[in-house]
Amino acid sequence: MLMLIQFAGILAVLITSPLIWGLTQTVKARLQGRHGPSVWQMYRVIAKNWRKDTTAPEFSSWIFRLAPSVSLAALLAVLTSIPLSGKSPAGWPHDILTVFFLLALERFWMSLAGLDSSGTFGGLGASRTSTIGTGIEPAMLAAFGVMWRLHGNSSIIPLAPILIRAPNGAVAWGFAACSFVMIMLAELGRLPVDNPDTHLELTMVHEATILEANGRLLALSQAAMTLKFSIIMALGWTILGPHTASPWLNLAFLVVELPATSVILGWIESRFTKLRYFQLPTYLSIAAGVGMLGFIFLGGSNL
Amino acid sequence: MAIRVLLAAVSLSALYGMTSKRISRFTLLASSIGILGAGVAGLVRGAPLSVIPGILTASALNFWFLGVLGIVASMSMWYRLGYPDHGRTASVWLPVFILSMMTVIIAGNAWVFLTAWETMTVSSFFLVVTDHRKPGVLQAGYVYLVMSQMSAILILAGFVAIASRLHSFEFSAWAAHASSMPESTKNLALILLGLGFGIKSGIVPFHIWLPKAHPVAPAPISGLMSGAMIKLGIFGIMQFLLLDLGHTDRAWPLALLAAGAISSLLGVLYALMEHDLKRLLAYHSIENIGIILLGAGVMEIGIDWRQPSLVALGLAASLFHTLNHSIFKTQLFLAAGAVERHAGTLDADHLGGLIRTIPTIAVGFLGGSMAIAALPPFNGFVSEWLTFRGLLGMASNAGWLLPMYGLGLAMALGLTGALAGACFVKAFGVVFLGEPRKNVPHVSLPKSMTWPILTLGMISLLLGVFPAPLLNVLGQVYPPSRLAQTAVPGGMVAPETLIVAAILLLGTGAFAWASGAWGINSVRRWSCGREADPSLQLTSASFTKAIRTTFAIVYRPHRSFKQLGQHAPDFAERLVYSGGTTPIWEQRVYRPTYRWIWKVSHLSTRIQAGPVRLYLAYLLATVGLMLAIAH
Repeated sequence: MLMLIQFAGILAVLITSPLIWGLTQTVKARLQGRHGPSVWQMYRVIAKNWRKDTTAPEFSSWIFRLAPSVSLAALLAVLTSIPLSGKSPAGWPHDILTVFFLLALERFWMSLAGLDSSGTFGGLGASRTSTIGTGIEPAMLAAFGVMWRLHGNSSIIPLAPILIRAPNGAVAWGFAACSFVMIMLAELGRLPVDNPDTHLELTMVHEATILEANGRLLALSQAAMTLKFSIIMALGWTILGPHTASPWLNLAFLVVELPATSVILGWIESRFTKLRYFQLPTYLSIAAGVGMLGFIFLGGSNL
Repeated sequence: MAIRVLLAAVSLSALYGMTSKRISRFTLLASSIGILGAGVAGLVRGAPLSVIPGILTASALNFWFLGVLGIVASMSMWYRLGYPDHGRTASVWLPVFILSMMTVIIAGNAWVFLTAWETMTVSSFFLVVTDHRKPGVLQAGYVYLVMSQMSAILILAGFVAIASRLHSFEFSAWAAHASSMPESTKNLALILLGLGFGIKSGIVPFHIWLPKAHPVAPAPISGLMSGAMIKLGIFGIMQFLLLDLGHTDRAWPLALLAAGAISSLLGVLYALMEHDLKRLLAYHSIENIGIILLGAGVMEIGIDWRQPSLVALGLAASLFHTLNHSIFKTQLFLAAGAVERHAGTLDADHLGGLIRTIPTIAVGFLGGSMAIAALPPFNGFVSEWLTFRGLLGMASNAGWLLPMYGLGLAMALGLTGALAGACFVKAFGVVFLGEPRKNVPHVSLPKSMTWPILTLGMISLLLGVFPAPLLNVLGQVYPPSRLAQTAVPGGMVAPETLIVAAILLLGTGAFAWASGAWGINSVRRWSCGREADPSLQLTSASFTKAIRTTFAIVYRPHRSFKQLGQHAPDFAERLVYSGGTTPIWEQRVYRPTYRWIWKVSHLSTRIQAGPVRLYLAYLLATVGLMLAIAH
């Protein structure tokens, strides 16, 4: 039964992820006073690119051709590892450290693809992706500090019900959530870390690595990008969001939570400008520091 | 019995190889496989063995390290079949080197251990300076020799400290009684042995010999040194400090963890700035030794605070990472040797696009890179996962210090892992991908150089997907009964690697097939309308620019920009740019120490004037003094 719910959740996230992405774009457009594209636009873009002919830059090897597939597969593995209904089937992977390493795998291959395109922009994108990644990993560990504090192992379980009962739990929850949102923006390549809508090569991070991709490779990369958007949000909600005893109800929560988050993200994005690239280490250190504050607050409560 | 015969055969065949160059290659390969076989057989048999009672003995930990040595040695020796030879040096000293490493592992008392340890140092010194005619090689060799001697002296002193208390040089007696020694002896032994083995395994700040000595040696020997020899320092720490001494002062595990975190972080940071492939790999050895020490520190915490789950996690993490690092580091060193043989250089900024000329080596290097960056589904992921679990297990303890420390260390390890990922994106990307930066003549490689690399890659993938059997074997090394506790709850833990690996492989295959990845044509790349040339690509220096700026406090980057010519700077004829990082340890620590030692030893010339009469007078004075004291 749990397996069925898990698969239903995976399928739902897979199908709706371009829509969730589209919501953010629409909200952003409205807040900027534009009409903006339809929320279904991302489906059309992916479908259009899939139908096009595909070419690769000269001197590129099978790394460039394989990277979008690896990144999409890694994200699929991440999605599988998240117990979307709050409880994972027996023997099913549900490990947060594995999730971190899978995200690193995705970053590793996209960076390689950038270098393999043998141009300047691909290389820039690769360098930036890797550098930001070095800040994200320790910050992620700090953001989930409350999790290690509570049970000392790395299974993804809903923490909110346990946290509420702990002294200072609400404060710790606040810090953890705050830290997670900051890191989420970096991991997803949203403002203020990276601007997904930019068309200026010098400021691009993720777009630069896939600048040379077209056709089906681009479609796969875009699918991966939109999927990651939903996955990271779902990860946050599963761990820090509301939780009930009924798996179906938990899954139903996500149906509300994901669109709501993407609307809020659109609002956040409209409020910030992009940070200078060399200020990102500071941004990520602050995110890590906030996460550690959550850890400390919970630590003082003598669990 | 069978293992005893096997070990004797190994020694004989290795020594027989010294007689002839051609035969030595095959006998060494055979004896290396023998060592591997002995290690595996010993672990399967699951009982301690005394090969020669009191002199050569082996238990689970020794068998584990025999296995590590065997796998590294057999792959390096297989690889060496097709590697250009370096005169008689290698064929004479390699058997001695491998045999001495084997003897260090199964030594039964301190004398055998130290003799083998010194033989290992000397033979590896001669192997390092194989190409002694190249500039800098001899100097690197001497730095290595001096550091190794310091390590040997400290180990000897530590052994004497233990032996004088226990009145025995037998390791079996140490295993039985060392844990009941008084705290002061334990502390002394911990300092001396910790430093001694630490120098040999290359922890920061005793690391400077490692990036000098490993790159100048021929590839199979670099592989052996990085994959097996420095692990013997870890072996010493595990055997004498953790298993024998047992419960210690609570400050020691914290110090061990700090040493591990600093080594791993600084190792990877220095590696990032390297553009010589072998030096980069040598720095990564320092990083991985740090990660192994983090595991060992978790284990010691578990011993001291009586937490069996931490003991189990730390033990599994450190020993499994020892094996894993041996596998993928040998793989990477051998691949680097193949690159050097193929393109004639190891400087990443002269290379590029090698994936088209040596595709199989590229696959091998990519597998090794993913394993060392701890990416699933390779073996490095499993052992780093275990290390993380150990550190985060510390975080759930009551109190303040330990949890905060655990979280801090986990974050340091996370940063290390991410930096290692960035470093290997750089190493693989700059060397193997893109357009060749310079036209260098290519030499084709024999198959016997490719297959060991791919075999190691297969092993690392296999261990990454099915780690459970080996992790269960590790339970023998530290029986839970030693903590007066029943078995660790739930047995050894491991992540659900199989499902993740299946999704990764099947998913990648399906998407690649659907997108028709193999049928995609290449067209000219976009370069803003100008003519594309190789200099448009990022170099290893530009790739790591942001990291250099962020960690400026570690690197102290400097650069100078000069405009030369008659009318400079307005009409400069030539622009000269140079930049780099400052070698802090050498400038601030080693050079002053060296100068100080030089001064002190210069003072001694005053009493060493030369005339024989003077020395006779010294002799007389000494005897007189001793008599005076004796009475």
